[in-house]
Amino acid sequence: MINIENLSKSFQTKTDTFHALKNINLKIKKGELIVIYGESGSGKSTLLSIIASIMKPTSGKVLVEGENIVSYSDIYASEYRKNRVGFVTQSFHLFDELTLHDNLLAPLVIQALTKAQIEHNIDKALLIANISHKKSQKVNTLSGGEKQRAIIARAIINNPHIVICDEPTANLDADNSLVFIETLKDLKARGKTVIISTHDPIFEAQEFVDKVIFIKDGSLV
Amino acid sequence: MLNKLNFLLILLITYRKKHLSIFILSTLLIALMSSVLFISSSIKKDIFSTLENQADFTVQKYVAGRVLNAPESWIDEFYTIDGVQNVQGRIYGTHYYEPAEQYFIIVGLDFYDTQVIKEMKTLVEGIDMDDFLAKKNMIIGSDVKKFLDEYHYFDYYTFRPPDRSIEKVYIYDKLKSSTDIVSGDMIIMDIANARKILGVEDGTFSDIILQAPNLKERETINTKLRVSHFDMRIIQKNDIQNYYENLYNYKGGLFLSLFIIVFMSFGLILFQRYSMISSVDAKEVALLRLSGWKINEVLWFKISENFIVILSAYFSGIFLAYFYVYFLNAPLLKNIFLGYSNLGSSTIFSPSFTLSDLVLIFLSFVIPFLLAIIIPLWRVSIKEPTEVMR
Repeated sequence: MINIENLSKSFQTKTDTFHALKNINLKIKKGELIVIYGESGSGKSTLLSIIASIMKPTSGKVLVEGENIVSYSDIYASEYRKNRVGFVTQSFHLFDELTLHDNLLAPLVIQALTKAQIEHNIDKALLIANISHKKSQKVNTLSGGEKQRAIIARAIINNPHIVICDEPTANLDADNSLVFIETLKDLKARGKTVIISTHDPIFEAQEFVDKVIFIKDGSLV
Repeated sequence: MLNKLNFLLILLITYRKKHLSIFILSTLLIALMSSVLFISSSIKKDIFSTLENQADFTVQKYVAGRVLNAPESWIDEFYTIDGVQNVQGRIYGTHYYEPAEQYFIIVGLDFYDTQVIKEMKTLVEGIDMDDFLAKKNMIIGSDVKKFLDEYHYFDYYTFRPPDRSIEKVYIYDKLKSSTDIVSGDMIIMDIANARKILGVEDGTFSDIILQAPNLKERETINTKLRVSHFDMRIIQKNDIQNYYENLYNYKGGLFLSLFIIVFMSFGLILFQRYSMISSVDAKEVALLRLSGWKINEVLWFKISENFIVILSAYFSGIFLAYFYVYFLNAPLLKNIFLGYSNLGSSTIFSPSFTLSDLVLIFLSFVIPFLLAIIIPLWRVSIKEPTEVMR
């Protein structure tokens, strides 16, 4: 269960204060898949970044299983990102020069795992993301869709409860978007809580979506 | 730990081009700085090993800014001073070698005087005295030999003393290379031959040397010598050592200039590294943070990555400098430090450096390098990963 209470985020510019999020209240049940719709600059990515604990809000709480992750120090926030949340970034942020396998090592080498366990986790994540066949290939040689699946594999490598996807189909064509949706269904079937921010209409009228939320100018509408 | 090390090696190999350029540049700078220190250390060692057996005091007759021959009577006079031992007159002077337009230093030694031989032990060690004195012989420095060979004086050389006679002196042997720094342009011969060739009248010497074994008495002896004659110049062994020490110490003159140049070059590289963190580095940090790495884990990882590179450069630089100075005999740099003046030096550097030299290089390069890398990376790592990747 994720419980967001009175969440606000402001950015201070040289001349002005920009309110990215204004008093957001939201409840997301465990295993739910929710889609947050909104235009560019509406505050979607900011909201996801705060839920993923890579950004601190100006005020408010984000309670995950009863713990307010907003109050976490860097050590606890890192632990939270490492074990409990996977983040699918908007752009294809990967170690471009490394192979897909080596990209997936990054979240694993800080865990107390044996080499065999690491390889097992990598194989499992690649299988779920349906990209096992590109395991030894450098990611800069992968297509856009394959890179997106690589990022999904990285996001779920530590078997997190929550998977956050920020504009996941923004750089995908229609076919790859449909493949991605199949992956999301699979994640939901595995009991993951999935939060997606998008302005792609492809998520509309999808049966597996539990809740659709609209955000505009930093407020839920 | 092993998993992290494995990942570290993967990144090092993957980004080898970037690391290689830093490695090469750092190796060259460390090698240059180490070479300077090695040369300085080697020169000092050679000088002090040669000067070690020198007399404690050298006394010259000095009138109106010119050095004149000292009277033999001073020897008996100096013996009357308490604490003074082994007072001797020396014969030496310069010889102008016209074919190469060079000056050689002729030193006359009394080979029957055991004290003299002890003092010059470093230079004349291993010479068979009886054989040497059987005819008019001389032992020559490396540079002298080089110039004599150039004009085919392989066996002997003919001097023209001031009395216009002809003195044919045979080349008996070459002085040891390790003493080249002070003896490269030196010719050692029997005192009688030297007196004749240099035109030093009987009853006088070029200068007079004496020993004062008790350190505590030296200042008093110095004062007594100074007041005994107004036309006298006194040079102590310490003065000579200090002179050479200052001349070749890395803190002085050319050494300091080179050090400053090396440090400024290094400083510029560091400044560039400090002020411009590459987008690849920033993205790498952001991705690691996003994957759950703590700030200290990211920093230790980056320190390790760069430490491997700079430490490899450090050892390579030291090795390169050692090879350059002690095996190749420091071409180019040698001429900067020893100069082209008088004779082109044939000095061969003998291995000599201290642990503090190596620590100095380590602290001067490795620590600032790591700081210049880590501070901007730390700045990136405390930012929100999405902000860095945006």
